[in-house]
Amino acid sequence: MINNVKAWLEDGTVDAFLGYREMDHHPLPHCFTREHMEEVDDLVISPVRYPLEKIATHMTEMEPDIKIGMLARDCDDRALNVLYLWNQLKSENVRTLGVNCCPSRLKAHGDCSYLEPEKIGAYKKQVGVDNNLSPEALDSYGQKERLNRWMYEFQKCIKCYGCRNICPVCFCKECSLEHDELVKTGPLLPEIPVFHMVRAVHMAGRCIDCGLCEAACPMDIPLRLLYGKVNQIVKDVFDYDTGSAALDSPFNILGDTVTLEPKPIETAQAVNP
Amino acid sequence: MGDCHYLYGNYMTVKRITFLQEMLGLLGLEERLGLSWISSAEAQKFVQVVSDFTERIRSLGPNPLHAYKENRKAAAAELMPLDFIGEGYDQQRQSMA
Repeated sequence: MINNVKAWLEDGTVDAFLGYREMDHHPLPHCFTREHMEEVDDLVISPVRYPLEKIATHMTEMEPDIKIGMLARDCDDRALNVLYLWNQLKSENVRTLGVNCCPSRLKAHGDCSYLEPEKIGAYKKQVGVDNNLSPEALDSYGQKERLNRWMYEFQKCIKCYGCRNICPVCFCKECSLEHDELVKTGPLLPEIPVFHMVRAVHMAGRCIDCGLCEAACPMDIPLRLLYGKVNQIVKDVFDYDTGSAALDSPFNILGDTVTLEPKPIETAQAVNP
Repeated sequence: MGDCHYLYGNYMTVKRITFLQEMLGLLGLEERLGLSWISSAEAQKFVQVVSDFTERIRSLGPNPLHAYKENRKAAAAELMPLDFIGEGYDQQRQSMA
């Protein structure tokens, strides 16, 4: 792997390589360049993940034609697909070096900080939402209970913006969560559930289920599950698999490709007989 | 469908509203959002749809989210078993709010 990266840097396949470098026993994201070739020897595959593709996006922003190589797990690959699609990166300017990835419903083993899902405590089990639930299992709660459980999770939020900042597919210059009229600076706590729902809506057809948001959340809100649920809806309604390929999101396709009809508005009697 | 002043407007709308209904379902609020096509010439239909919808919302009762906004403790009491809410709970929330 190290030789591979060195060769790429030497022959100009890439101008910069994003990977992890072990410094003081901490694997940290690092940009390897031709000028500092000796650093490449410290390149590691860290079990700790950072959104390398987000760093690539920022670099491309400053220097549009830079050629970037990076380590890529499956989640990174999905994120890259989304970023190509949204014109944040050019696929011809990115070379990836595949590495073993985190365990998921597809894979049992991997080198990832997500190796073991955390077990939740008794209190959270009783009143909150278990981070490890599957999106389908959520529906087994009744309407009111579901609301209560989510509200319990949301009310913990301290509005640190960690979920947005770590998110590899969040790239907007102006974020609606920082809009003066919508989310005022200063007051804590954020308005719930609107704050989280705004983010959830924006994750529809974009979230690539990397789980970094949940790992970053200091209050342990099951964000991965929330966005997973949102994307499940996108999958069910539009049959769109986010990140699997750089295909247009259903919300971006204009024109008459829709066969949906508005749901009939039930009358009061039907709702409350 | 497709017969929209804003060209693709109603295609986009039906996609977004269908998605939103599902998403509000996550919080158990999906019955509070409806979509209906009414042209500017269909005054009767407009009145019918709006009165029906108003009736329906009325029958559902007040938005449960208001409870959380106005009184977080009362809402919390409903949210979790009472013995979990200690003495410090109220002060803690207030100092943070």
